[in-house]
Amino acid sequence: MVENSEAGTILNIEKLNVSYPIYEADPVHALRGLDLKISKGEIIGLVGESGSGKTTLARSIMQLISQPGRVDSGRIEYDGQDLATLNEKELRTLRGNDIAMVIPNPRTELNPLVTVGMQIANVARYHLSLPRKEAKAMALAMLEAVQIPDPLRRFKAYPHELSGGMAQRVVMAIALICSPRFIISDDATSGLDVTVQTQVLELLQDLVQQQGASMLFITRDIGITAHYCHKVAIIFAGEIVELAETKNFFNNPQHPYSVMLLSAFSHNPKLRGMWSKAAEAPPEGASGEGCYFAPRCVRASDKCWAEHPLLRTSGEAHGVRCHHPVER
Amino acid sequence: MSDVLTVKNLIQHFPIAGSRSVVQAVNDVSFTVARGETLSLVGESGSGKTTVGRCILGLINPTGGDISFHGEKIDKRNNVRGKNLLGKIQLVFQEPAESLDPRVRIGVTIGEPLRSLGERREEREKRVREIARRVGLGEDSLYQYPAELSAGQQQRVGIARAIITNPDLIVLDEPTSALDPTARSEIIDLLIRLQKDLNTAYLFISHDLSTVRYLSHRVAVMYLGMIVEQGSAPDIFSRPRHPYSIGLLSSVLLPNTNLERSSEVSLQGEIPSPIDLPEGCFLTSRCPFVETQCRAEMPKADDIGGGHLVHCFKHDNVIDEEKATLDYFERFQEEAEKLLISGQ
Repeated sequence: MVENSEAGTILNIEKLNVSYPIYEADPVHALRGLDLKISKGEIIGLVGESGSGKTTLARSIMQLISQPGRVDSGRIEYDGQDLATLNEKELRTLRGNDIAMVIPNPRTELNPLVTVGMQIANVARYHLSLPRKEAKAMALAMLEAVQIPDPLRRFKAYPHELSGGMAQRVVMAIALICSPRFIISDDATSGLDVTVQTQVLELLQDLVQQQGASMLFITRDIGITAHYCHKVAIIFAGEIVELAETKNFFNNPQHPYSVMLLSAFSHNPKLRGMWSKAAEAPPEGASGEGCYFAPRCVRASDKCWAEHPLLRTSGEAHGVRCHHPVER
Repeated sequence: MSDVLTVKNLIQHFPIAGSRSVVQAVNDVSFTVARGETLSLVGESGSGKTTVGRCILGLINPTGGDISFHGEKIDKRNNVRGKNLLGKIQLVFQEPAESLDPRVRIGVTIGEPLRSLGERREEREKRVREIARRVGLGEDSLYQYPAELSAGQQQRVGIARAIITNPDLIVLDEPTSALDPTARSEIIDLLIRLQKDLNTAYLFISHDLSTVRYLSHRVAVMYLGMIVEQGSAPDIFSRPRHPYSIGLLSSVLLPNTNLERSSEVSLQGEIPSPIDLPEGCFLTSRCPFVETQCRAEMPKADDIGGGHLVHCFKHDNVIDEEKATLDYFERFQEEAEKLLISGQ
């Protein structure tokens, strides 16, 4: 099990609203009042289905929401500094140096015309202002750190010459070369085979902890979070619905949506029948301000349709956004 | 049970243009699939799972070996496109969105295989309605375009298109890997229900082992174009004997913090290139138990009872018996059931 050592907040997201306008229609609200605090040295797993706002969150932290999407309200504070107040030049120094992102699909994201060694070295040259020779030496050391066999030869390889697992390691080297203090991993291991996935995850976990960094680990696979994260946050329809220490979460999941996800993973038809149902239309006269999960929730009551639940934190810092949390 | 499909010593090599090297994608694969049975092919990418599926469909001509369907040989002349087999073997693709024509309405897509069979229009429309109901698609969606459906519904279309000809065998190539967990379990339920109703045989190609555990009758573990171990699903999952199967199974991350991952065998490195196959056993580069004999010759299949075949010299002492019988998937199921029922 992983231990959480340092205290103090590194990233604080408050009431973040992000929307994407649509021509002649209502905008899509990707994030709706999302709150999230990440402590120093912490690895937090963010789990959600496609369309839940996971990637939008990652991009808003990097201040990279692409047009016409926009941040409607809310604040993102990194190390006490409001990211929205920084100009593009300051952001460029922050990205890469302080906050780094490990991306999925490494083979499409790497530049196909530049050797992987130079792609890693270029990051060091730009962000750490190192001369060419030193940057190269550092890139080589980084290739060794991410345990690529035969790093001298791989340094001169082009991305297409690498396997998926190795390309993922190169992307990790690029993200980690400047020793960032905060790392975002957006579904970074989803394309890998299970045997390679565990190797890459173990390596990422080790490197993050060695450097004393924090990580937001975004994934669709709730199984990964059970083994590699300190905390688990469940995101649904643009807000966090449950947040707890990993052990507490898996031994006592409380939000009906979390329970539904876990039962889907078990494949057990009895459990799934108990916790999932087809989406239901709101009852007559519903205000539209209720819980976002109410249409699919087996526990939905009149209160759920009328009133949006707040994230309530009970014993041992276990937060649940539900009027009728599951009790055991 | 009669065998629908028999694959014997299948070999598939692809020459590389401009070089004398050959990609040895499938190396001597043999298995059978019986009526109403699901055989799963599991393994890492590059292990040749999809190539086997494509050979069976007659999309590529195998370099060697025999594939027979109901005892009849499938070859260049007699394949899925020929009169005899048209519509008898069907395929469901991995990416539902990419396998549907974006400019053709769902109803037409589902009916297309019947058109190839020369079915009349009224008959086709009747069948399309019936099949759509069976896979849980509403009447309205027949007039929609693929982009208007969710990924789960798109995959239902893929399945409807496959079963409309009443095939005896469906090759499912990673049909759930692009889906969210809830959609995935719905599709799996649908597949199981259809199999019970229609008695179709499935060849299920996947690397999602928890899904494989749930729906297969038998499992074949592939590595570098070879089946290294095959047997009934309970045997493979609770008594795996090949080091590769053990390593693969213990790499699966189940959502439960109380189940410590077994570290009996940890597979280091990655699958080698199928261009230069290693001498002897293919796993030598990653196996922790490798010995001189393993490097010299390829182990033959050893039947350890109940059709459980293992290709390994050392399968008797790879893992001690007590630990080998732990089925992590089974224990996860039990724990999940205890935990998740308790809240109701």
